[in-house]
Amino acid sequence: MAGLALNGASLAEKLLARGPTSYAPWLDRRPHLDLIEQRALPELRAEAWRHTNIARWYETVLAGTERATRSRRVEFPGEVEVVDFADPRAAELLVLRGEEIFRLDAQPIAALNGMLLGSGVAIRVPAGTVPSPVRIVDLPAAYQRILVIVEPDARVELIEEPSSYTHRLVEAVVQPGGRLLHRRLQAASPDRECSLVAVRVQANAHYELSQLSLGGDLRRNDIVATLAGNAANVTLRGAWRLVESQHLDNQVAVHHDAPGGTSRQTFRGVADGRSRAVLNGRIEIAPGAQQSDATLNTKNLLASDTAEVYAKPELEIYANDVKCSHGATIGAIDEDAVHYFRTRGIDAPTARSLFVRGFLREAIDDVETARRLGVIQ
Amino acid sequence: MSLLRVEELHVEVDGKPILAGIDLEVDAGEVHAVMGPNGSGKSTFANVLAGRPGYDVVRGSMRVDGEDVTELAPEERSLRGLFLAFQYPIEIPGVSNMEFLKAAVDAHALGRGEDPPSAIDFVRHAREAASRLELNPDFLKRGVNDGFSGGEKKRNEILQMLILEPRLAVLDETDSGLDIDALQVVANGINAFRGDGNAVVLVTHYQRLLNYVVPDHVHVLADGRIVHSGDRSLALELEERGYGWLGA
Ligand SMILES: Nc1ncnc2c1ncn2[C@@H]1O[C@H](COP(=O)(O)OP(=O)(O)OP(=O)(O)O)[C@@H](O)[C@H]1O
Ligand SMILES: [Mg+2]
Repeated sequence: MAGLALNGASLAEKLLARGPTSYAPWLDRRPHLDLIEQRALPELRAEAWRHTNIARWYETVLAGTERATRSRRVEFPGEVEVVDFADPRAAELLVLRGEEIFRLDAQPIAALNGMLLGSGVAIRVPAGTVPSPVRIVDLPAAYQRILVIVEPDARVELIEEPSSYTHRLVEAVVQPGGRLLHRRLQAASPDRECSLVAVRVQANAHYELSQLSLGGDLRRNDIVATLAGNAANVTLRGAWRLVESQHLDNQVAVHHDAPGGTSRQTFRGVADGRSRAVLNGRIEIAPGAQQSDATLNTKNLLASDTAEVYAKPELEIYANDVKCSHGATIGAIDEDAVHYFRTRGIDAPTARSLFVRGFLREAIDDVETARRLGVIQ
Repeated sequence: MSLLRVEELHVEVDGKPILAGIDLEVDAGEVHAVMGPNGSGKSTFANVLAGRPGYDVVRGSMRVDGEDVTELAPEERSLRGLFLAFQYPIEIPGVSNMEFLKAAVDAHALGRGEDPPSAIDFVRHAREAASRLELNPDFLKRGVNDGFSGGEKKRNEILQMLILEPRLAVLDETDSGLDIDALQVVANGINAFRGDGNAVVLVTHYQRLLNYVVPDHVHVLADGRIVHSGDRSLALELEERGYGWLGA
C-alpha cells in the first residue's frame, strides 16, 4: 500500500467505526475496546517494534481479508475436553483458568485479537491424565484464540500445525505438577502474522516450548512465560531458518515470580538472503524469587552478507540469591568446517547444509519434524 | 605411471611465496616421509594437495594417476582418491561423526556411480573401523571432533581414512600429541591400510612413528623446497644431527 504509513491511532479510529465481531458474544470485550479507544496501540517507532514495521501488519488488519474455505480442524483424544470458544462452556473454562496470564497493556495488539476474534478453542486436560497429543490443524478466521488448561499432574503435548492467521493468542496455564509440551510449527508464509503465547506455570509444573519457524512476509512471535509457583520449570527452544526477504521477530520474556524456578532458553537461527531475524530475550526475576536459575542462549548464523540479525538478551534481577546467565552470538558459516567436509568428498552445498543443520540442532528436539517443515535439510 | 606427481609447485598465500618449487613422485605401494623444520611449508604442501582455498598455485602442477588435479575442487580430489589427515582437525558440534562419515561415504559411492551403502552396512563398517582404532562406539555418535582430546582427534582422522580407503593418504603430523599406546594403535591402522594399490605421505617431526610405519623414502622440506631425499636412514640421521647440516 502506498501513501502514508498506517499508525496505531488511525487504525484504531477506523476499526472502532466498524465495531467488534460478534463471535463468542459472552466474551467481555470492554478491556480490549477501552485499550484501543485510549490510543494504546503501538505507534510506528515504539521500542518493542524497532525491528518490525508494524504499519505493514496494520495494513493487513485494516484490509481484513478472510479466507473463505476454512473450517475448524482440531484433533484430540477422548479424555481431553475441547470446546469452541463461542460455546458458553468456554466462558466457564476462562474463569477456571484463574487470574490473567498476561497484562493486556503490556501486549496491546492482543486487544485487536479480543475485538476481532473470529474463532478459537478452549481445551481442558483433566487432572492426572496423560492423553495423546492435541493437534491444532487449522482455525477458520484471521483472529484466533486457544486456551489451554492443564490440570494438576496432567501431561499433554499441544501441537500447532502450520496455518495462517493475522493474530493468534495462545494462553495456557499449567497447574501444579502438570506438564505441557507445546510444539509450534511455522511454515514459510506470504502473509503478515503476529502471535502471542502467554503461559502461567504453577508450582512444580513444567512448560516446554519447541518452536520451529520458517519466515513470513512479516512474522512476529511474542512469548511470555511466567513461573508463578514454587519450583516451576520453563524450557523454551526456538530454531529458525529464513531465506529471501523473509522476516521473523521473536520477543521472549520469562518472568520468575516465585522461588526455586528454573528456566532454560535456547535459540538458534539462520538468516540467508535479505532476510531479517530478531530475538529479544528477557529474563525478569522478581523480588522474593530466590534460588531462581535462569539461562538464555541464542546463536545466530548470517548465511549471507545482506541478511540482518538482531539478538539481544535483557536481564532484570530483583532477588539476590539467583543463578542467571545469558549469551548471544552472531557469526558466519565456518568455512574451515565446510572445507573439512569437502576434503571428504562432500560437495559444498551439502557441506553447508550439514553445517547449518548441526548448528540448529541444539535447539531442535525433533529432527524429523524439523526436516519435514524444512527448517533443516 | 606415478600415483602422485608434483612438479615445480610454487604456492603463495596473500602474495607471499611459501612453496618454492616442489617436485615429488609417489608410486603405488610406497610410503614417503616428509620432515623439516617448523614453518618450512609441510602443512602448506599437504593443504595444497587437498585443495584448500586461499593457497594460490602460481606455478607447477599436481597429478593423480596422470590426471591434473591442480584446478579441482577439494571434493573432486577426494573422489579421485586424495585424503588429508589434518594437523588440526576441525571441531563441528551438532554434526555427529556418524552422519558426517555417512555423508562422505555416500558421496564417494555416488562418485563411483554406485548406490550408497545401507545404513546397517555402513554402521557395521564404521564400528569395525572404530574398534580397530580402539575407539569406543559411542565416539561415532558424538559431534565431529567436538570436545575430543588431541589424541582422539588424530585417531578420528585415521578412522576416516580407513573408511574412505583413499588412493593417496597425506597424514599431517598425525603422530603429534599421541601417547605411546595411541601411536602404536595409529601405526597399526596405517599399516593395515597400506597396500599395493595405495600410497602414504607422512608428515612428521619424529623418527618414532617411522619405527612402526617404515618409509621407502624420506624427504626434507626447508624454505618451501625439498632440499634432501634419502631412505629411512635419513630420518635416523636427522634425529641425531638436526637439520643444520643440510644447510636448511
Ligand atoms: N594461511 C596462511 N596465511 C599466511 N601465512 C601462512 C598461511 N599458511 C601458512 N603460512 C605460512 O607459511 C609458512 C609455512 O607454514 P606451514 O604451516 O606450511 O609450516 P609447517 O612446515 O607445517 O610447520 P609446522 O612444523 O610448525 O607444522 C609459515 O611461515 C606460515 O606462517
Ligand atoms: Mg604443519
